[in-house]
Amino acid sequence: MRAAIEAAALLITAAGVVSFLAAYAATRTIRVALPLLLDFLMAAGLMRLAGDLSWGGILLTVAIIAVRKVAAFGVAEKGTADTGSPHGTSA
Amino acid sequence: MVLSWEVLPESDLREAIGVLVQVVETAGALIIFVGAVWAFVRFIVTVVRGRGHVKGFNRIRLTLGRFLVLGLEFQLAGDVLRTAVAPSFTEIGQLAAIAAIRTALNYFLGREIAHERAELEREAEGEPQRDAGAGPGRAQGAVG
Repeated sequence: MRAAIEAAALLITAAGVVSFLAAYAATRTIRVALPLLLDFLMAAGLMRLAGDLSWGGILLTVAIIAVRKVAAFGVAEKGTADTGSPHGTSA
Repeated sequence: MVLSWEVLPESDLREAIGVLVQVVETAGALIIFVGAVWAFVRFIVTVVRGRGHVKGFNRIRLTLGRFLVLGLEFQLAGDVLRTAVAPSFTEIGQLAAIAAIRTALNYFLGREIAHERAELEREAEGEPQRDAGAGPGRAQGAVG
């Protein structure tokens, strides 16, 4: 059971990386591509947490969520600053 | 003579709840997995088709978020079941931490979904106006 969940989480992580690269290649916009990767990583983290009652697992998931929130906030702020500036771009 | 009779022995109760927790948590994990696979496939289709990237990606993220929220609800249900048999303070502490993480995530995901949906609706409302505004120009171009 645990092995299956680990394998599924790994698969989701790989799908997230592929999605991120494809989205970045298609749009050249990190603001669009990064949230995709972070969503997939969070899905993988949540899957790992299923049935894993260890402090290590909990801390890992909290770290992923914290990174996700900070990165999403930073990218959103950057996007706002870019579109707000007179010569700004959406990247 | 001591008459000892239990309707449901504690060990059986623990076992039954353990099985139930496994079933509910597996269902939650399965929902998250199916959502992620679905989002990946839709995402690849959107990239290959090559039109309306940003809008398409947001729609896919919105649906993935819904799957995550549903999976989290199942996992929270598993946590609630687990509280029925949590013998040590360490286990109760871990359970509380996981339940807190899942509840906070559920809240933030719900907010994100509402935000994304409002943005998509705003875009959808803006499009007909833009089309209506561009209509006469296009018609003139077609005539000229």
